[in-house]
Amino acid sequence: MSATTEKADKPGLAVTTVALLVVVFLQIPVVVVVLAAFSTTSYLTIPPQGWTLQWFAKVLSDPTYLSAIRMSLILAFGSTAISLVLGTAAAYALFRKAIPGSEAITSFLMAPLILPAVVIGVALLQYFSMTGLRGSLFGLLMAHVIITVPYIVRSALASLSGLDLAVEEAARVLGASGFEAFRLVTLPLIAPGLVAGALFAFITSLDNVPVTIFLISASQTTLPVLIFSSVEMGVDPSVAAISTLLIVATGIILLIAERRAGFHRFV
Amino acid sequence: MMKTRTGLMLIAPLALVLAGFFLVPVLMLLPTSFGEYLPGSGMTPGVWTLENYTRIVTDDYYLEVIWRTLGLGLFVTLACLVLGYPLAYLIARGPQSWRVPLILLVVFPMMLNLVVRSFGWIALLTNRGLVNNLLIDLGLISTPLKLMFNLTGLMIGLTHIYLPFMVLMLVAAIQNVPRDVESAAATLGSSRIHVFTSVTLPLSAPGILAGSILVFVLTISALVTPRMLGGPTYKVMATVIYDEYMQLLDWPSGSALSFTLTFMAIAVIWLSSRLTKRWAGMA
Amino acid sequence: MSALTFDRLGKAYGETDVVKDVSLTIGEGEFVSLLGPSGCGKTTILRMVAGLVEPSRGRILIGNDDVTSLPPNKRGLGLVFQSYALFPHLTVFENVAFGLRRRKVSGAELDKRVKEALAMVRLAAFGERYPRQLSGGQQQRVAIARALAPHPRVLLFDEPLSNLDAQLRDEMQIELKRLQRGLGITTLFVTHDQGEALSMSDRVGVMAKGVMQQFATPEDIYHRPATGFVASFIGKPNRLSGMIASRDGAGGTVKLGNSLVLPAAKLDQPAGARVDIVIRQEAIGLAAGEAGQGALPGTVALRSFSGARVQYVVKLADDVELVAEAPSSGPDAALPVGSPVALRLDPAAVFAMTPEGERA
Repeated sequence: MSATTEKADKPGLAVTTVALLVVVFLQIPVVVVVLAAFSTTSYLTIPPQGWTLQWFAKVLSDPTYLSAIRMSLILAFGSTAISLVLGTAAAYALFRKAIPGSEAITSFLMAPLILPAVVIGVALLQYFSMTGLRGSLFGLLMAHVIITVPYIVRSALASLSGLDLAVEEAARVLGASGFEAFRLVTLPLIAPGLVAGALFAFITSLDNVPVTIFLISASQTTLPVLIFSSVEMGVDPSVAAISTLLIVATGIILLIAERRAGFHRFV
Repeated sequence: MMKTRTGLMLIAPLALVLAGFFLVPVLMLLPTSFGEYLPGSGMTPGVWTLENYTRIVTDDYYLEVIWRTLGLGLFVTLACLVLGYPLAYLIARGPQSWRVPLILLVVFPMMLNLVVRSFGWIALLTNRGLVNNLLIDLGLISTPLKLMFNLTGLMIGLTHIYLPFMVLMLVAAIQNVPRDVESAAATLGSSRIHVFTSVTLPLSAPGILAGSILVFVLTISALVTPRMLGGPTYKVMATVIYDEYMQLLDWPSGSALSFTLTFMAIAVIWLSSRLTKRWAGMA
Repeated sequence: MSALTFDRLGKAYGETDVVKDVSLTIGEGEFVSLLGPSGCGKTTILRMVAGLVEPSRGRILIGNDDVTSLPPNKRGLGLVFQSYALFPHLTVFENVAFGLRRRKVSGAELDKRVKEALAMVRLAAFGERYPRQLSGGQQQRVAIARALAPHPRVLLFDEPLSNLDAQLRDEMQIELKRLQRGLGITTLFVTHDQGEALSMSDRVGVMAKGVMQQFATPEDIYHRPATGFVASFIGKPNRLSGMIASRDGAGGTVKLGNSLVLPAAKLDQPAGARVDIVIRQEAIGLAAGEAGQGALPGTVALRSFSGARVQYVVKLADDVELVAEAPSSGPDAALPVGSPVALRLDPAAVFAMTPEGERA
């Protein structure tokens, strides 16, 4: 390659500088929240006036927060597990072209991504009010399956599309039943993609406010909805403390996913 | 070859869940949007009206909210494009060793809880927040700037929230531009800027469009960030729907506005897919 | 080991017949190739035998068992894929063990049989490797070991050598043949490469458009093609358009150009029919000098050297051109362009086939 083409490919100093400033911009609120969580004052100054862990202690001894965390985890694990099973099964059937009209079906399975979340929220609010499911764990779980399953379907279809169909046929001819061929050959091969999809689903469930807020009961809320409502009441450093815990958890999950499955390839 | 019956058994569970908890609830919202609001008790039984929709297109308050929502969508999309392209370009074409760390630094805020990120911006932008304190300490201003509960706050917050989506779409688009074509243009005597504007930019256009549509639709649908940074008074369509359902209990108006928002989102997606098909036909 | 029988086997997708009523029996321990251009139905037959495609008509028998409606895992076959289709997430050992584990073989017996199979393909030391760490030829051998390990009743090959480079392909042909002879396993081998089919098989089935054109020994296929298609597909044929000049018993004469009339031993078409005339290059005798009795006079128009043989483009009367060969070490290896030659054609090597697109 000549010097000219070499130069034409590479981002220049100006582009690099702007890009790195944008990366910094993306991290600013994260840094601010973490600093606020350790600050003695109830509002934030730089540098902070003093350091304390009292906000963490306060949050972790507050039964409201603890029960909201529990609820969020139940919903996130439950809906991810259900979506993983239902979504992978459906994607597999679509991949094997078992049913005519697979394109239309795929669009239908992805539709919850297109509709504004707030619309899904109010539709389910009315539906659950009519059917008596409002405030029930089952209703909430199904709502979270709806908003998480498109991520599973998408990542499962993407992983499957890179698969040589002959590999599964080879397993069949060697004596594996249809299910064995899927479990022993196809599933291990698409597992990294499914892990990435499950992570997206898990985070999406854990993150959700616009659907959940319409469906929770007065006594039982989720963590993001609790933070959302607390902020309406006014800024409180304990919100920063719980947020910091979420930031650390997200960071750890992301790093593990990157180490184990090369997560950056799936985003 | 998989048997049709096996395929049906695999798809049916998800299809039923989606039908029962997505399709039917959304369809059942439709009659509500033609109902008449009865203050206090909900809907007048047996009365059908178009008024919920006519009000949206005639009432000054609704029109202001709709134009504000669309304007916000447009601004945030442009801001994400301008800020996102250099970063995407650095990820796609910069040093190989920077690639994974940069992607992770883009994905990390995206994976982070939306409420937490919006809370971070509140801490930055409120009257006694970090930005105002800093400016006052530096002696640049004497009274705090109003950065929240207005358009400024929403623009900053939403741009930050949706920027990662744009960056990831643009990275994919720039990677799809064959480097040979860029090299060819360069060997033919094009300057770097000319190579970029005549080759890289047009060839990454489908990705730019896809990223823009995604950010635009997400922005006009957003509830959490506008609510947290806009407060109860500075409203967009999603927050109006929220209030109509949760505070006023005016479900007919809320559902009519919901369908209007849905219609806008789908119309934008449909238009863009038409445009993409036309581009594909040209290529 | 068992015989493999097709009884009026057919497959249609919608209105299109891709395999039309094929009946044949492959004897115990026999090596049979299905040969034909792509789309001729040979791979569909193989996939029907394996149970991966459901036949529209007819039956498949392994030994005396009708397996037509059995799923692939109940047929006890070995199949080697064109893409090898190794399991990328399993070691070579586990790839080969896969079929045995499905048959509930375990422990020392499993270990012994996997090692046996790997030793057979000379990969005994590679058990702990992953497929991606092997060369194409080694992957090919793992695929063969994997198919053989469970002791299948019939071994199937789907164009297994087409992804190898030429030299490796020749080596594998010999290795495969030796392996198959040693095990005495009934084998069905699908290929589009005539060299492969002729050199490895006990019998060859030549297919075109879903129809079995000829099922015979390689010698018969080569020297006594049953149809014009087989003649044109095997060897290096000259193919020229002409017509049937006259009929006499089974044979007659064909006419090329305005005046060039050649005897042909076997013709199917009536006198006056427009046909494609197929004459194999290797069946034409070529000698330098003027043509004597029963030979055709011509002149060398082009000479090209290809190793063991030399090809000449020879111009005959009416500007008809034929390609003929001479050994590159013989006396006729260096005839200059323009020099006179005499061609001798065996009537048994002249075939006529109805031109493409004129068959109803």
